[in-house]
Amino acid sequence: MKGAAAASSLLLLLCGCATDGIDMHRLPPQTPAADNAAAIKKAAEVAAAARAAVNSERQNVAVSPPFTAADAPPLQTYDPWQRLNRFSYRFNARFDRAIFLPAADGYRWLPSPIRSGVHNMFGNLSEVDSIINYTLQGRLGYGVRSLGRFVINSTIGIVGLFDVATKLNITQSPTGFGTTLAQWGMHPGPYLVIPLFGPSTLRQGVGLLGDYATNYGIDLADIYRGDQSYGVGVVNAVDQRANISFRYYSTGSPFEYETVRFLYVRKLLLEDAGLHAKETPKKRDPGVPAGE
Amino acid sequence: MRAACIAAALSIVACATASVAEDAPPITAPTVNGPATGLADSAGLKSTVFGTPPQNIAQLPDKVPLIEIDATMPWALPVPAVFWFDKKLEVWFSAQDHPAPLAIVISGTGGDGNTSELSTLRAVLYGAGYHVLTMPSPTFPGFIVSTSSTGVAGDLRQDGADLYAAMQRIVSHLPHKVKITDVDVLGYSLGGANAAIVKSIDAREHKLNIHRVVMINPPVSLFASVGRLDELFAISIGNGDVGVERLYQRIFAQLANLYRASDRVQIDENFLLSAAADVLTTDTELEAAIALVFRIDLMNMFFAGDLYAGTGVVVDPRHPPKVGDSLEETARVLRGMPFSAYFSRVFAPYYLKHRPNSTPQSLIADNRLDIIADALRNDPDYYAQTNSNDVILDHAELDWLKTTLGSRIVVYDHGGHLGNIGERQPVADMLDMLAGHWPGGSR
Repeated sequence: MKGAAAASSLLLLLCGCATDGIDMHRLPPQTPAADNAAAIKKAAEVAAAARAAVNSERQNVAVSPPFTAADAPPLQTYDPWQRLNRFSYRFNARFDRAIFLPAADGYRWLPSPIRSGVHNMFGNLSEVDSIINYTLQGRLGYGVRSLGRFVINSTIGIVGLFDVATKLNITQSPTGFGTTLAQWGMHPGPYLVIPLFGPSTLRQGVGLLGDYATNYGIDLADIYRGDQSYGVGVVNAVDQRANISFRYYSTGSPFEYETVRFLYVRKLLLEDAGLHAKETPKKRDPGVPAGE
Repeated sequence: MRAACIAAALSIVACATASVAEDAPPITAPTVNGPATGLADSAGLKSTVFGTPPQNIAQLPDKVPLIEIDATMPWALPVPAVFWFDKKLEVWFSAQDHPAPLAIVISGTGGDGNTSELSTLRAVLYGAGYHVLTMPSPTFPGFIVSTSSTGVAGDLRQDGADLYAAMQRIVSHLPHKVKITDVDVLGYSLGGANAAIVKSIDAREHKLNIHRVVMINPPVSLFASVGRLDELFAISIGNGDVGVERLYQRIFAQLANLYRASDRVQIDENFLLSAAADVLTTDTELEAAIALVFRIDLMNMFFAGDLYAGTGVVVDPRHPPKVGDSLEETARVLRGMPFSAYFSRVFAPYYLKHRPNSTPQSLIADNRLDIIADALRNDPDYYAQTNSNDVILDHAELDWLKTTLGSRIVVYDHGGHLGNIGERQPVADMLDMLAGHWPGGSR
């Protein structure tokens, strides 16, 4: 009986109240004053970063052959598994609306210190994967930064609950096995929508498996194996979702799949261009879709 | 708007190149006189693209409660398979815990019911003691599919009637503990014109007893404003594929060089915000960003309209797309279609058929605010806020607004189109207008 009542409560929480074709979902309150204060801070950071970027650009002009318009990837995206991908996209949208988003909204009702503690803890654990992958990429400076963050946050930050390193201006720069594969010269490959995960490519999908294997192999804090790993995985996923503002089909557009695919793959290709900043951009065949 | 512009600039070109061999349009599209940038100067273009700087935003409350309301409309047309996700109208409601006036706020062209502009207006209105209901534009695909009684958006009267009906249905289903003492309607951009039309309908029907209306940066002639944006697209990007492809390649190369020069390991929001300031500097670049954002909204509206009206421009009415079908080709074609094509090939054919005695000229005339000129002139409960460098107005239209509304319009000397929404002075003025404290308005 208790189980049934709990299940009903959960269902109500997930589905909201429905009357006469009208559903109401109570969302966590908005915090406009704090959001605007954060936007002011971010604008100042962006302005400072822009000034730094100008200097950096000047320094790099001599060593990096500039990327020209002719080096831009074609407009088309390599998507040979489109039908399956579209199915996965719809599945993800429905899952997100029915399960993931309500769970994330519920999670956002928790007090902010608890949520930031959980978020920081998972962020700190992910530094281990970053350290390994930066090493594999040969970017030892970034690897040392991740190691420093991990040590500081695990100790002074009390097992990662507090992001002390960021306050010391050692900001988080996560990486993964997908980026390592890119550094080793692998193309993004076909576009791939992974059920429950979202937009990806074959290379990034393999990268996710690599990251999972790394975490499983190291099993830091004994949370990546055994029964507890399921609970940890769920909390991690909900925490991540609660920190992503994207909502499937909030655009209302029938072209959302095409738009998301385009933006995701271009972001990946820009990051790839950054990885190989010291190299002359490869000449591209305009007839070959981006990612192939 | 910065990140949105970058995203828009990139996503518009997602729909790869394809030429559209258009037949001679059977109906003449509206023509536009004067510059494509309307009243906008460089500062106006910049404000339009980058929006209100956060440091200029009025004081906001710490917390605003929020309820998402998903509503089916009994009069809605059957939902096409390809729009399976737009079955319900999504609106957002913030309730005071005491009796209070209700402010209903309508989004601008193509906007949903939770845009950043609406979030700002919601916060300041809630902070001033209003219940707040935010609604999408009738040109938003989710509204067209779930609520429109025609599926062909862009007609002020029809869209106003649909909005009015949706408002009644939602307000009547608000929780019983919500006590409403008065009803006011606001809207920004096209939503401003929609708000005024809704009040004029309510003046006849008295279903909501709407008291005051505030239009923020409204158009005067819907078709003249969007005609200017068509022209802006042609000037800053170029018609056809070559201009769009060139724009995409240039933006990608600029972003790549900025990213390569930075020490970032991934592209994040800060990078995009920073890059936007670098990529969008000249007037032509700003004009391209404005034109692109509008073209994306138009693509959705065009597709839905063509599908519902069965006009067969991009959708074969005998074989409409199914769930899971690729819409890549359709998007490619639509990207090259200006608003004039929507008017002459979808909008006018549909309304000429359904409105006896109408002509293309009468349809254009019906989409000017002066269809309610008498009410705007004589009813002291209509107010407006606009800017002297708004891209969607020309001198004659601004003069018409000033002459018609008299002291009930305030014109700011900056902000372009919506680039000062949420600023301290406009917010203070808006609240004075709603509270009946504005000179020349009703008490």
